[in-house]
Amino acid sequence: MRRLVPFLLLAAAVPAQIRTVALPSKSPLVTFRIVFTTGSASDPAGKYGLAYLTAMMLANGGTENLTYKQVVDAFYPMASGLSAQVDVEMCTFSGATHVDNLSGYYNLLRGMLLTPGWREDDFKRVKDDAINALKVGLRGNNDEELAKELLYQNIHEGTPYGHYSGGWVSALEAITLDDVKQFYRSQYTQSHLILGIAGGYTEVFLEKMQKDFRKLPEDGGLQPRITPPRQIESTRVVIVEKDTRSVAISLGFPIRVTRGSPDYPALLLASTYLGQHRMSSGVLYDRMREQRGLNYGDYSYIEYFPRGMFLMEPQPNLARQQQIFQLWIRPVEPPTAKFALRLALFELDKLCREGLSQEAFERTRGFLTKYVNVLTKTKRAELGYAIDSAYYRIPQYNSYLKSALAKLTREDVNGAIKTNLRTSRLVISVVSKNAEELKRQLASDDPSPMTYNSPKPAALTGEDKTVERWPLNLKAADIVVKAVGEVFQ
Amino acid sequence: MEAMVSKLLIALCWATLACAAQPPQKIFPYAYSQEDLPNGLRLVTVPTDYPNIVATFIVVQTGARNEVEPGHTGFAHLFEHLMFKGTEKFPPARYNETLNRIGAASNASTSDDFTVYHTTFSREDVETVLQMEADRFQNLKYSEAEFKTETLAVLGEYNKNSSNTFRKLNEVLSDTAFDRHTYKHSAMGFLRDIQDMPNQYDYSLKFFDRYYRPEYTTIIVVGDVNPKAVRELAAKYWGMWKHGSYRPDIPTEPPQSAPRTGHVDWPQQTLPIMTVAFKGPAYTDSAKDTAALDVLAMLAFSPNSDLYQKLVIQEQRADTLGANAPTSMDPALFTISARLKKAADLAYVQEQVLATIQTFQEKPVDAARLDTVRKRLRYGVALSMDNSETIAAIVSEYVALRRSPDTMNKLFEQYASLSPEDVRQAATRYLVEKGRTIVTLTGPGGEQ
Repeated sequence: MRRLVPFLLLAAAVPAQIRTVALPSKSPLVTFRIVFTTGSASDPAGKYGLAYLTAMMLANGGTENLTYKQVVDAFYPMASGLSAQVDVEMCTFSGATHVDNLSGYYNLLRGMLLTPGWREDDFKRVKDDAINALKVGLRGNNDEELAKELLYQNIHEGTPYGHYSGGWVSALEAITLDDVKQFYRSQYTQSHLILGIAGGYTEVFLEKMQKDFRKLPEDGGLQPRITPPRQIESTRVVIVEKDTRSVAISLGFPIRVTRGSPDYPALLLASTYLGQHRMSSGVLYDRMREQRGLNYGDYSYIEYFPRGMFLMEPQPNLARQQQIFQLWIRPVEPPTAKFALRLALFELDKLCREGLSQEAFERTRGFLTKYVNVLTKTKRAELGYAIDSAYYRIPQYNSYLKSALAKLTREDVNGAIKTNLRTSRLVISVVSKNAEELKRQLASDDPSPMTYNSPKPAALTGEDKTVERWPLNLKAADIVVKAVGEVFQ
Repeated sequence: MEAMVSKLLIALCWATLACAAQPPQKIFPYAYSQEDLPNGLRLVTVPTDYPNIVATFIVVQTGARNEVEPGHTGFAHLFEHLMFKGTEKFPPARYNETLNRIGAASNASTSDDFTVYHTTFSREDVETVLQMEADRFQNLKYSEAEFKTETLAVLGEYNKNSSNTFRKLNEVLSDTAFDRHTYKHSAMGFLRDIQDMPNQYDYSLKFFDRYYRPEYTTIIVVGDVNPKAVRELAAKYWGMWKHGSYRPDIPTEPPQSAPRTGHVDWPQQTLPIMTVAFKGPAYTDSAKDTAALDVLAMLAFSPNSDLYQKLVIQEQRADTLGANAPTSMDPALFTISARLKKAADLAYVQEQVLATIQTFQEKPVDAARLDTVRKRLRYGVALSMDNSETIAAIVSEYVALRRSPDTMNKLFEQYASLSPEDVRQAATRYLVEKGRTIVTLTGPGGEQ
């Protein structure tokens, strides 16, 4: 079987070289992931969304020689294109082509990334799209994502991560094409570049590509020091008032663990035990959805997972120096919102106090050891994970995780839980109608009894008696209500 | 009991339909085996050269289309949930524990015509998965209390989707365009029926008895597998499943006699959306209609079309524009959707869409552009088939229609044979005023 090890050439050691992650194979496809280690953390104050607009101008605009229409026409028969993903510390351009079209595809990609056209009409369209993505996409059409992004923004407030990567409406409106060009010149540099390529390309092709990208400026512009979020002194809640059917909740707190940390495998295992998207074996899924029918599912993550409702697995190239632990409670019927929140905290508390049993530890470890194959099942994902491994300075993800899991003990996991997880000093983010009423409910210690449409076992109704009185320890002053039009404005 | 069946006997009884390598020009590039058990269950096995991973996609040809009784929309989708409720042998905890232990990714989805259950896992676990899947398809057991709780998870799914404008618009579009056919409702079902589901336990048992039968089901196994071994496992675990007898009486939609309109007032700030839909044909790969309409959708409304370039790139009045040709078991809708930046442009964009259709009805398209679309279609397939799970997913969509991966080859043969005049004729035949339904959606005050 193939055994492909990504190789990494560090620009710092050999300045003339471009950092490259390459996974050659005999595939008839060639996959590109071109990463610039810059992102919205480098947005200047008041220009939130500049990194996003710059990447979108490159991926959705013309080149010096081709209008955007000509770019679209050229990609069309190849059934391909170039897409951009912008996060706090990474801007990623990805695409794939059949080897039949490699030369034509690469010429387009090169033109778009190295000699952009910077046309005003492209800029107007891209900017409109960015503003509508916020106003209509995030605020209007996706309550779960709205709650999740609000959670991140609230936790990281006052740090370079403290605004949404897609920007804020008023800031986007004020950004000019000159701002975008300036950001490109200062941040799209060799020192920030990682070229990722996989599939059936030749050595000669890769050398040419590296030579082409050496045309970028060598040194990167200034980047902010990524600072940890401020300590959360006591639990705080932000509720976004919106005319919507149900109540979406996310909650979390910062952790000091990232993929390269010693506690990462243990904390990943603990979080997986609580549950990952659409895995029916998770504790939260079982207790909240399966046993009580509260909603469509409930999950836990220790790494950023945007667009979760459209994806089974997290996408790569969202590497971050700072992560949070989060619980994602999918929309619940309004009368059960307080109970659902209490139940999630009750389960988290149980995990913090009791840890995992030996059986649960072994079962979850067995799952993760095999599930890592599923995470990297496509070339696209394999390449993305390899780039992230380069960023975090860890070995190839599959082997890194499998070998770490093999050495892990139940005590390691329960120790990592004790060190990193908690049920106090949280940020809770909610999207709901009748926000003031919900605020009143959350600030009160009144029980929130649960009723069911079918008989439940005595053990469950007995547990509910505890859950319905689970202390939230919230006062009205801890809860802020915002109109949906105010957030990301 | 499974072991009592002679593998040899089963092997002899099966009708092997195709086992040879496909000629290279076929769009589906893999050699596969397709075989029927005596009970009517079909097995399609596709070995690939992607190592370690295997994907099973089990297609049940039951979707919203099969929900023929009033008050019971959404039941095909409800079963997508109930199928995870377990059996005596594999109660949910054991089922989940097993999936967990083998590191499998497992899920299901429901559409107008079918429900598909899929699992992706490592190759050494093929028997475990086929055994567990066979057990739940044959021996599903859930109490009324479990049933009632699960219906709330379905409501939760409706809730999490309910903030999406396109979903709401599509609900209203189907309801407006169809009078009798079950395509009138979405796979989620009408909200009123979802809210009444907790009271329908007995009906759910009937639904399962009707449709979870081998003659409705095709097992697709793709990846690092040996077809012979898979065949033996299928015989061992699925051979005893009993053939059913139920055939739904799916109402025929009467011809539409006049254009229709609908509107959605969205309570939140949003961009206006317009969908122009026409009654189209049922899926066919023995005639040119499906292929011709699909190509028409691409030529007239995809990102390199003149209209897209005009509305999205040059005038920037819309931020999205696209069209979908119907590929359903029964006649369904050809839809063109645009999201606009201002409600004031709704009339203009509608006029532009209709004028574009008229152009395609009057004049055959340029042959070179038709070739470009054909090229895109073929490269699109090549680019997407980059792992076993995606290959299985693609195959499942064709299997849902005609129970064979060869469906894909036949459709692509139709694409290859299309002439510009075929596309013009399809536009003239199907995109007609009396078969049209236009639905719009706007935010408060009609503006964004």
